[in-house]
Amino acid sequence: MCDTIINIVNIVGKEVVRTVVGLIGVFIVVIGNAIMLTWAERKVAGHMQRRIGPKEVGPFGLIQSFADSVKLLGKELLTPANVERPLYFLAPTLIFVPVLVTFVVIPFDGFLQVKDINVGILVILAFSSLTVLSILIAGWGSNNKYSLIGAVRSVAQNIAYEIPLLLSLLPIIFMANSFSLRDVVEAQKGLWFVFYQPVAFLIFFVASVAETNRTPFDLPEAESELVAGFHTEYSGMRFSLFFLAEYTNMFIVSAIAVTFFLGGYQGPILPGVVWFFMKTYVLVFVLLWFRWTFPRVRFDQLLNFSWKILIPVSFLNLLVTGGILKL
Amino acid sequence: MIFADIIFIIIILITLAGALMTVMYGSIIYALIGLVTTMFGIAGLYIYLNAPFLAMMQILIYVGAITVLIAFVIMVIGPLHKKPKEWTYPLKLIIAAIVALFSFFMFAKVVLKAKWTVLSTPFAVTTKDIGRLLFDRLTFPFELISLLIVVAIIGAVMLSLCSRGEK
Repeated sequence: MCDTIINIVNIVGKEVVRTVVGLIGVFIVVIGNAIMLTWAERKVAGHMQRRIGPKEVGPFGLIQSFADSVKLLGKELLTPANVERPLYFLAPTLIFVPVLVTFVVIPFDGFLQVKDINVGILVILAFSSLTVLSILIAGWGSNNKYSLIGAVRSVAQNIAYEIPLLLSLLPIIFMANSFSLRDVVEAQKGLWFVFYQPVAFLIFFVASVAETNRTPFDLPEAESELVAGFHTEYSGMRFSLFFLAEYTNMFIVSAIAVTFFLGGYQGPILPGVVWFFMKTYVLVFVLLWFRWTFPRVRFDQLLNFSWKILIPVSFLNLLVTGGILKL
Repeated sequence: MIFADIIFIIIILITLAGALMTVMYGSIIYALIGLVTTMFGIAGLYIYLNAPFLAMMQILIYVGAITVLIAFVIMVIGPLHKKPKEWTYPLKLIIAAIVALFSFFMFAKVVLKAKWTVLSTPFAVTTKDIGRLLFDRLTFPFELISLLIVVAIIGAVMLSLCSRGEK
């Protein structure tokens, strides 16, 4: 048995096998994470509002989200009559491309990484901008005013917050001297970059909350004014794909923040994967916490905050970092 | 070697299909999707040529920034109230054809003029090499490009100020 496996590996090539196994692992993490986070979000929301949250299905209501996802899978796929059909079908699929590509370069541990690419961070940044494109296609294809307004807001917001996001990661690249995520983690052996770059960390975190369309920056899907924003017309499994993408994006931005600022998989005693997931879920919890404590900002406040505060501050931070490193 | 050729042909076909979709489709949002496809095709060509940095920059700048900006412009001021194909007319097609042919012949001339030498050993261009080139040998053209961008920004600001003044 073992010999045949080794033979197959030798014939196909180690890289191919590694990639395939890695992608299957990525799928498992994506699904498991989304199911866990739906439960966590409801629990956190409940306790913050002095309720208990789901408790009937399974211990502590843990199986509630499984039941919900089975229900969503069983639902009929409704297609509204006047949608722009190709675009309407394309959007939920397209939103998953960036999600899966980003997972490929994230180092979960010293060896647990699908592929270490020497321009890793650029891969993440390049493909994460695709999310906004699929939101746009969804909003346009739905042929609904709420969807379109949601999509327009999403585009404006993403243009504004992509810039500080990029600029806050540049000082880290200066300090680590590499685009590869593993090198960035290795460079934090002594002291985490969050202590060198607290401003960059704050800017990155704020910008990533905006990029994932979470409260207080959830204007693209503001329930009280736009029904559900860009995914108003989607139901059943198509809706849950958007849902899945949102929760996976939360995980991804937290994972990138951990990799760049909080030392990645490094930590004493426990294995690296455990440290990585612990740190990531602490940040995810902060995101959930934000949602249930902050009110939604107004749209002009949102854009002004990015263009007038975040971008100048991140430029200044970049300048100071470059100056200090050269001296 | 055949495997590499097949991949090359697939990338070229994707790029061409995207380009054709951009210019042939009546609906402006489909044209935009065609443009994105073309950009991805070009990025694929860069990866094929062993230049991953350029490929990522292509996606980051053209897909992530420029197409999204175009999309934003379409949504804010685009010809939404008109049906597809109503906002185009034959003269536009003729002008576009002339411009396209002119630039095609120009590129063809440059490509034919260049001396192509095949290197015996394959090499990878690193980010460091590109940075070194941009700030050393090619500093002047690099600065000229930024001048061009400044001119474009000033032009855009002027245009928006002028149209505001009319109201």
